[in-house]
Amino acid sequence: MVSPRTVRNLKRELGRSALAKVGIALVVAVLLVAVLAPVLAPHHPLKQNLGESQLPPLGFSAVTNETTSEMVNGSIEVVQRERQVDASLSHPLGTDSLGRDMLSRIIYGARTSLLVGLLGTTLAVLIGVTVGLTAGYYGGKVDDGLMRVSDVMLAFPSLVLAIALIGLLGGASLRIPDPIVAAGVEPGMPPNIVLPGTVIVVVALVNWVWFARVARGEALSVRSEEYVKAARALGASDASIILRHVLPNSLTPILVLATIQIAAIILLESSLAYLGFSGANLSWGFDIAQGRQYLSTSWWIASLPGLAIVLAVVGINLVGDWLRDALDPGIEGEGGV
Amino acid sequence: MADDRQSRISRRRYLSLVGSAAAAASVAGCAGGDEIQTPSGDGNGGGNGSGNGGEFAVTITQGQLDSGLDPHDHRETTTDIVLMQAYEGTLDRDAEGKVVPSLAEEYEQVDDTTLRLFVRDGVKFHSGDELTPEDVAFSINRIVNNDVGGLASPQKDQLAGVTEATVVDGERAVDVVSDGVNPVLVSLLASYGDVMQKSWVEGRQKNQINSEVNGTGPFKLERYTEDEEVVYTKFEEYWRDPAAVDRVTLNAAAESSTRVNQLVSGETDIVVNVPPQEVGRINNQGNARVEAVPSTRIIYNAMRYDVEPFSSREFRRAMNYAIDLETIVKEVLSDFADATSQPTLEGFVGYNPDTDIYPYDPDEAERLVEESGHAGASIELHTPVGRYLKDLEIAQAVVGYINELPNVDATVNQRDFGTLAGELTTGSIEDKPHFYLIGWGNETFDASQTLIPLLTSEGVLTSWSNEEFDDLVAQSNAETDENAREQLLRQANQVAHDEAPWIFLNRQYSVYGASGRIEWTPRRDESIKAYSISPK
Amino acid sequence: MSLGRFILKRALQGVFVIWGVVTVVFLLRFVTPGDPITFIAPLDASPALRQRIAAELGLNKPLYVQYFDYLAELVRGDMGYSYISGTEASARIFARLPATVELAVVATLVAVALSIPLGVVSATRRHEPADYAATTFSLAGISTPNFWLGIMLVLVLSVQFDLFPTSRRALGFVDALGYLAQGNPNGLIVWAKYITLPAITLGTYFTALITRLTRSGMLDELGKSYVRATRAKGLPESLVRYKHALRNTLIPVITVLGLQLGSLIGGAVITEAVFAWPGLGTLVINSINARDWPLIQGCLIVIGTSFVVVNIAVDALYAYVNPRVVYD
Repeated sequence: MVSPRTVRNLKRELGRSALAKVGIALVVAVLLVAVLAPVLAPHHPLKQNLGESQLPPLGFSAVTNETTSEMVNGSIEVVQRERQVDASLSHPLGTDSLGRDMLSRIIYGARTSLLVGLLGTTLAVLIGVTVGLTAGYYGGKVDDGLMRVSDVMLAFPSLVLAIALIGLLGGASLRIPDPIVAAGVEPGMPPNIVLPGTVIVVVALVNWVWFARVARGEALSVRSEEYVKAARALGASDASIILRHVLPNSLTPILVLATIQIAAIILLESSLAYLGFSGANLSWGFDIAQGRQYLSTSWWIASLPGLAIVLAVVGINLVGDWLRDALDPGIEGEGGV
Repeated sequence: MADDRQSRISRRRYLSLVGSAAAAASVAGCAGGDEIQTPSGDGNGGGNGSGNGGEFAVTITQGQLDSGLDPHDHRETTTDIVLMQAYEGTLDRDAEGKVVPSLAEEYEQVDDTTLRLFVRDGVKFHSGDELTPEDVAFSINRIVNNDVGGLASPQKDQLAGVTEATVVDGERAVDVVSDGVNPVLVSLLASYGDVMQKSWVEGRQKNQINSEVNGTGPFKLERYTEDEEVVYTKFEEYWRDPAAVDRVTLNAAAESSTRVNQLVSGETDIVVNVPPQEVGRINNQGNARVEAVPSTRIIYNAMRYDVEPFSSREFRRAMNYAIDLETIVKEVLSDFADATSQPTLEGFVGYNPDTDIYPYDPDEAERLVEESGHAGASIELHTPVGRYLKDLEIAQAVVGYINELPNVDATVNQRDFGTLAGELTTGSIEDKPHFYLIGWGNETFDASQTLIPLLTSEGVLTSWSNEEFDDLVAQSNAETDENAREQLLRQANQVAHDEAPWIFLNRQYSVYGASGRIEWTPRRDESIKAYSISPK
Repeated sequence: MSLGRFILKRALQGVFVIWGVVTVVFLLRFVTPGDPITFIAPLDASPALRQRIAAELGLNKPLYVQYFDYLAELVRGDMGYSYISGTEASARIFARLPATVELAVVATLVAVALSIPLGVVSATRRHEPADYAATTFSLAGISTPNFWLGIMLVLVLSVQFDLFPTSRRALGFVDALGYLAQGNPNGLIVWAKYITLPAITLGTYFTALITRLTRSGMLDELGKSYVRATRAKGLPESLVRYKHALRNTLIPVITVLGLQLGSLIGGAVITEAVFAWPGLGTLVINSINARDWPLIQGCLIVIGTSFVVVNIAVDALYAYVNPRVVYD
């Protein structure tokens, strides 16, 4: 499947492009952070300490106008005190409104983003490639029908469709034991990895169209090739022709598109979490939504998780550029968000 | 993000913005001023924004606007606040919650099931017609009877027990008949039952009733722009003294920070639901202030008595001991809330002053969990987001405390309010989540309107069933002696505390921002009456 | 096939797509949990009351009857009445539409105006500082969640420096023009102040995307033999670049723009949520939250229709820019 020529192209492009190296480094870093989250996180990401809420990151201090209310003769008086809050070494990136460690939350947030990005894309590829190859290979009515379905899909903004579908499917999530914690390495960390099942299915359902279109195009172009005709004449079944001849030809553009789609899906997941539709409570988008309320007092709660998203998505996009430049799959444009 | 109804700036405000465009982002000045349809074309920009001819105009900004203007066809506080400027009931409450006469001058209990309301003379509708007893009877019947007034009113149960209202022959009075002893009827009529004009309603289509207003109240409708604003002007023929306010505009902004921005920039005079972290911004501004008052809303975590582990009384009590309620109130809600110990709020009929708040005692909680036999249980707290002040943060804090017990594992499940409410309201306990956060407002200042729907076996919203409790509530419902009734309700509250069907959380405060140019005091029942506003 | 027939064919397909949208939304509605009655009836309403309300709204009829009723009304331009407020859905939607159209048009115009020159400069000055700057910007632009960008803009430009309003829309463009016609330019200034941050928030992704497409397209074209040939013929370099190379580059850019309309609207939804911008996006989210299905359906039909119309226009434009295209 991966020819020596491909590997050569990849290597040559990597040697040429500093950006590709940066991209790979970022992606590897995010992957490591996600996998090793229990080891890297200094605190349990959900462990609250209401007495240490809204601590600023190291190097910053915050003066907060602490307001409380007191009951005086049956009516409520608002009492305001100025309080200097200093950063704490044990919370290098500060804490959120419940006193949870921002660094640990950002580290664990990487897991949610990557799980949704990778699994969502995989599912979208499976659906899209199946539909696309079938449509392209058979052509005619099948093609017309499937393409009209994909037209309808495209006419829904994916974010709106995702919101509606999440409403439909409910907010189910799976929990699988975290192998690192199960091995007893970091017993104080969350014992389970939370897999946001609904979100993964939904992002796949709203993004498969892009893969279907690419796969269909590839299938159309090889359908009339001599070797396909020959295979058919030799009595090969449709399924085996699709699997052995059509599919391999479309792998390169699909791989490149998939890389871009991972980035797009991570952005989509964070949008859903921001709007409160993903059900996640340990996600970059969720923290941005929470921090938004504290913009005028604690800027870091909304800012830092966003920075994490940007870094991860930049890395993936750079890897996507590298693959595209090296493999030249001939697809134009990019999948939508 | 839920309930994101947008506000648009009013045309009047726009004009004053245009007048000072260079400082549009930080427009100061007051919200007074007459409407000018066309700015002057002299290059001065039609500057406006200060009071004009001494008119006193006030703007009130809520989280969302009305859901139509039919006073009998809604159940939201937001719509109620829009309509209470123009519609009135037979009885009313003063700022302390005490029942006072309104369109009924007096009332008397004729027999066990009949309450007679004597209708005030000389009251005019905005249409100019006189209020008649027929109008009062019609309005009550429109609420309680699906066949009157072309409406199946969702307020039917707000007048619980009432079967009909009839005009008393030869007297300017209406008899309100209930299906049995109805000890809370006066209380209900003081909170609900807006009076409409019979002929006006009958002569109009549903969508007209929803976009026009004809009440007896101190303000009459000037302009209604759905989703945008409702503008009232003073009704000069009001039966009491005309209002001090000449014009009231009601609009909405879903985001609390947006509302606060509008207040500090002088675009509005009263904003609702100021979150604690925004209080400082208002106080520091100088031209606005924060007003807070305990509301009639209680926030709680219900635990379903018919499923494990919540079937265990020990487990439910353990959950109450596990959380540090005082700290949640102090740190999450910045003290803009009171801790509760029972379903009924302080100051309500039936509140039990001898019931203590569950102390924070994680050791006792852990012990009780062991005793319950449910050590190692995993529980999931369902919570709406953005429906109540800091709801998601309260839920996260509760779960955070429960997780500190070594023998229980808890998670938060953020729910869309619609879906959650759907599960809570099917009338069948099996449809409800096992463990959920919800809030309940009870404007009647009477325990029964909390205990009956939320905790009795037959209650529509109940997750609990307890014979002793049911008996106490049933007895109180049939008791005509006020003191005896109050004692029964107190006992019921004590039982609820001991059996712990809920994790008792906080009584929500209503926190408002008010501009410096108005005199206004907030009320416990969450109502905002422009009639009570005067210039400072 | 002539252009006319081509457009006719696409229009018919478009009608099919819109019918598909209507059907999908209608089906969604009946499998989605969260009964609209919940929002109309009080929390503690009795089942009998719920049934009354259902009957009043026609929700008790069989599904297929409701479906055909709806289609029949839709053909007459009637989108039904909001469950929550009882007012006409179409009136609500068309009241919100201008805000979203303004936002989308301003964002797109700015994106196109910035990105195409940026992409051309980037390609023609490859490996120069201008190229690096443009590449970095466009990479960051396609990698930044727009809601976060919006929040950061508010944090810096509104909360810190107080340059722009944090949210809302003061007035519509048409109103602003009205004041201008009366000799008062301040309306336009206010309008611009309010739309600046939302438009940047929404437009950044597209600016970045088109910059990338233009750059890579130009690089491709400039390397092609015909460009080398025209250069060899001694045509001025600017003519080579802008007439030939850019023209061919724009073809895929236009296609992508049409297909990205969905993400433009998706972006508008979240941008509106961040800035409390009173457009279709906030309406659709509110309606979904409230299960106000007539409004949800109406919004999605309007969005779907605009998608179809824009894409037909894009195809026609495509054919115009590239006469070799066979209408198929």
